[in-house]
Amino acid sequence: MKLTRRDFAKAQAGAVAAAAAGIPLVEASNLVTDSDQTQMQWSKAPCRFCGTGCSVMVATKDNQVVATHGDIKAEVNRGLNCVKGYFLSKIMYGQDRLTKPLLRMKDGKFDKNGEFAEVSWDQAFDIMAEKSKAALKNHGPNSVAMFGSGQWTVWEGYAASKLWKAGFRSNNIDPNARHCMASAVMGFMRTFGMDEPMGCYDDFEHANAFVLWGSNMAEMHPVLWTRLTDRRLSAPDTKVAVLSTYEHRSFELADIPMVFTPHTDLVILNYIANYIIENDAVNKSFVEKHTNFVTGTTDIGYGLRPTNPMEARAKNADKANTWEASSFEQFAEFVKPYTLERAAKESGVPAERLEALAKLYADPNVKVMSLWTMGVNQHTRGVWVNNLIYNIHLLTGKISEPGNSPFSLTGQPSACGTAREVGTFAHRLPADLLVANPKHRAIAEKIWKLPEGTVSEVLGHHAVLQSRKLKDGEIKFYWTQVTNNMQAGPNVMEEILPGWRNPEAFVVVSDVYPTVSAQAADLILPSAMWVEKEGAYGNAERRTQFWHQLVKAKGDAKSDLWQLVEFSKRFTTEDAWPTELLDKNPSFKGKTLFDVLFANGKVNAFSNDQIEKGYNNDEAEAFGFYLQKGLFEEYAEFGRGHAHDLAPFDTYHQERGLRWPVVDGKETKWRYREGSDPYVKAGKEFEFYGKPDGKALIFALPYEAPPEWPDADFPFWLCTGRVIEHWHTGSMTDRVDELHKAVPQALVYMHPDDAQKIGVRRGSEVNLTTRRGEMRARVETRGRNKPPQGLVFVPFFDAKRLVNKLTLDATDPISKQTDFKKCAVKIEAIV
Amino acid sequence: MNKQLLIAACMGLMAWGAVAASLDAPAPDGRRPGGTIAQETQAEPIPKIENKDLKRLRNYPEQPPTIPHKIDGYQVNTQSNKCLSCHSRTNSAKAQAPMISITHYMDRDGQPLATVSPRRYFCEQCHVPQHETPAAIPNTFKDIDKVLEESAAKP
Amino acid sequence: MWSLFKSYWHILRKPSVHYSLGFLTLGGFIAGIIFWGGFNTALEATNTEQFCISCHEMRDNVYVELKDTIHYSNRSGVRATCPDCHVPHNWTDKIARKMQASKEVWGKIFGTINTREKFIAHRRELAEHEWERLKANDSLECRNCHNFDFMDFTRQSKRAVKQHSTALASGEATCIDCHKGIAHQLPDMKGVEGW
Repeated sequence: MKLTRRDFAKAQAGAVAAAAAGIPLVEASNLVTDSDQTQMQWSKAPCRFCGTGCSVMVATKDNQVVATHGDIKAEVNRGLNCVKGYFLSKIMYGQDRLTKPLLRMKDGKFDKNGEFAEVSWDQAFDIMAEKSKAALKNHGPNSVAMFGSGQWTVWEGYAASKLWKAGFRSNNIDPNARHCMASAVMGFMRTFGMDEPMGCYDDFEHANAFVLWGSNMAEMHPVLWTRLTDRRLSAPDTKVAVLSTYEHRSFELADIPMVFTPHTDLVILNYIANYIIENDAVNKSFVEKHTNFVTGTTDIGYGLRPTNPMEARAKNADKANTWEASSFEQFAEFVKPYTLERAAKESGVPAERLEALAKLYADPNVKVMSLWTMGVNQHTRGVWVNNLIYNIHLLTGKISEPGNSPFSLTGQPSACGTAREVGTFAHRLPADLLVANPKHRAIAEKIWKLPEGTVSEVLGHHAVLQSRKLKDGEIKFYWTQVTNNMQAGPNVMEEILPGWRNPEAFVVVSDVYPTVSAQAADLILPSAMWVEKEGAYGNAERRTQFWHQLVKAKGDAKSDLWQLVEFSKRFTTEDAWPTELLDKNPSFKGKTLFDVLFANGKVNAFSNDQIEKGYNNDEAEAFGFYLQKGLFEEYAEFGRGHAHDLAPFDTYHQERGLRWPVVDGKETKWRYREGSDPYVKAGKEFEFYGKPDGKALIFALPYEAPPEWPDADFPFWLCTGRVIEHWHTGSMTDRVDELHKAVPQALVYMHPDDAQKIGVRRGSEVNLTTRRGEMRARVETRGRNKPPQGLVFVPFFDAKRLVNKLTLDATDPISKQTDFKKCAVKIEAIV
Repeated sequence: MNKQLLIAACMGLMAWGAVAASLDAPAPDGRRPGGTIAQETQAEPIPKIENKDLKRLRNYPEQPPTIPHKIDGYQVNTQSNKCLSCHSRTNSAKAQAPMISITHYMDRDGQPLATVSPRRYFCEQCHVPQHETPAAIPNTFKDIDKVLEESAAKP
Repeated sequence: MWSLFKSYWHILRKPSVHYSLGFLTLGGFIAGIIFWGGFNTALEATNTEQFCISCHEMRDNVYVELKDTIHYSNRSGVRATCPDCHVPHNWTDKIARKMQASKEVWGKIFGTINTREKFIAHRRELAEHEWERLKANDSLECRNCHNFDFMDFTRQSKRAVKQHSTALASGEATCIDCHKGIAHQLPDMKGVEGW
């Protein structure tokens, strides 16, 4: 049966009339039942939003996404999504999708103050090549920089990293995961010598106690929150402890709710270690066999510009990431001053609750899962807090087994899979390798089939430093993909905006919508998104998940992968490499970067007939080989046999993801424990093999004050963050009507007594001012977040309320991750 | 007012204007009026929650319905669940409120339980009320009926 | 001791020698007024929100919760204070409630609810007392402000009209049956009818 438009309209009209008259239809004439018509193609894809990594089923019909729902076959979410996830179908269809490259022009030529005009991809690449080649030639490799993303697919991050680190010989590439997971990474590297959690989400069904360290999982990891809620409510003896600097939705499930003074988590954690020692709850045999004690370097500064007086005062800013050997006795002595009384006094949390919390960890019969994300990571001592959490799990031996799990949650969908595992950081190479290590560089050069000395030992700039170097005129060419740093980065008015608008710099933004970053760019490239391309993400439990391209990108939009690989054709090795390197390796002369990086016999080793039938692959079609498979297989070489083993490419298109290391076709749920992790040697019980002696480090680290705190001029703490309905800067979710109408604007969540004191009330418009900038917004005193007196919370999703005009660009000096959670702000009524 | 002070203030204002102008450049609108990143605009008043109790069209059957009424002060925590006092199976007839769907009684493995599944306990993770405010940017999503209709209309 | 009491009793029984009957009557009357006024002033002083929240048990638990609700802040700025809902306005009932409140003094002295945890542990019991009282007096303290006769159904939401024009109108239900937890958080509601 072929349904004509007329038939369809008639059927609809009949149904409406019948319904209005209350007549039940005898035949299904208001229903299309022909399977040719009604069948939609359902395919799996990971959710586009947070680091939980839910799998969704996506229905397509006639090159459009028409429905999505939670994938019942996926272990992560078993049929559930959060409100954002349920509206994934609509994120690609905002009316203002970018479909053509746009260049700032005046009189037909590029002009930094010109108006955006449509150009062809050729013209776009022409000016990009001109600007970047000039920069490379005149100012060296670090003058070209890229800012990428934990929302890049695995192969996009890998291609970008390779183009920069091997092609341009510049390590000046960093992901926005720097804002989000860098402290977690350095926490892992310092304690265990290897990145990413030892446990997995199965811990949720095994733990008897959950401790949220500054995390609001109810809104930020909603589907994991459903697993935690399921456990708490179905096993009523389970306890939930929630620590935060303000009350939020996760407190709805809290048995031990704790609102603490910002930054005093350092005191609370040391108190717990002290409690464990004083109450003889140390797991002595575990500690003896599997840990070493060290004392970390202190007075390490705040990652501010060296000219900042606070930074100049710090004695050890240059050796922040160092430590000295110590002993259990010394450690016990170190934490002794962190008594219950002190912890209660400094944190403002009632003593009995702190003690109840300490008991959860100390009781050998309670399996504890600690969970944290931005509250801990976006912290000027974030690495330390990560280390201190591991301390308590290591002291009690509560680690690497079902339910006993210090679990660092991830913000972005592939912060783990792309940013961390691929190593798209300014100091990293794939699989935890470092650019500073000559042996590691040699491994990369060998896998990449490139001459010795191609990868430079010069470190690139981390995210915040990139902004500073743009402002200082040192970065001349800057390209960002899948990120919106003008809205999400710190200190917009003093650093980021002046940096991007610096006439010295040419800024390229690849995005899908005209974001605030795109508005500040010189060239905007229209990108394909999510299921408009084949992709892979890696979530917080080491699970790698793939998806197919399901629809065509809109207009002339192209995937970030295509943009990177196509751009590489514009360079010959002579453009990018020094003559000495080419003279030593003449076979590389006269070749394009595309030839040496992507047509190297490995990346182009797989033909397009290996693409699963029924799916498009625009990149493979454009380049003539199965680009994604080639990139993935080359990348996987870094980790296979080195405890980062990934399964063969095609496996992932069939599975709902697998948790690495995948050895002999089997995924690994708990690392570092014998019997569960194939890399632990027999008889060892536990082995933290990231460290040469297999022992994890327990760190003595003190409380140190934050760089800025409220005073008479700026009397409130300002904390920023997210809401469940919106993803990051809202560029996708604010274009979905239902999500926008649920939370239409960013509000200043405030205590009603504070509001009264400054003469405002719910709905009043206020001006927020910090030492760096100002912003207008409305007050909310009855919202979902209930700050204590003296603190306000403002989310950052709203492009009209740029809260990062206010934030301080202080970072953890070890991880270089910004502290978005605390600075001092003044609030005044606008009358 | 002191004349010098006035001049100084004017010059300060002009200098600020110049800085802002060089920072801002023309741009497509997006969510924020084009090219006005450095400037601060008035914050819109907080709109009301739509409280009409009218069911809204879903984009696809799998979409969780949005809440057509106010939920101010609704307590959903370990102590009680206000939503279920109307929407649970036992209360829905009395309240004439839609009963939560059968999926809400299933555990992780799809096995129905005696009562609401704890994993579905926090309603607002999926169901949200709507403010009386226009869309920020129109969305061109087409539902399946529209797609079928268009495909049928094609020659 | 006994003799002392006897001598006082003797004095009291004797008619006055020095003061006139008029003086005594008038004096007694004035003293009575002063006593009565003092009593009522004291009573009224304990009948204010300021008095209620002078105890941290009230200030840090129920009062904080009230601040989030429509009974504290709303469009017209008419707000309910603690005694508006929790102390009967009728004098005899008020005295009865005040006498009951002596138990609360013990609670205060012995710290029965002096932490959040203890308060939450007792919350069901405390709430049930209030529900019972309001059920028994047909939600009198609600009706002191919310008079059924003057409700304009056209200004209520559809759901509200439906319930108010049927169950409430017929007397089948009273306010508190549905409107539990509107000014403070609810206790554990396991087994409560309608939940």
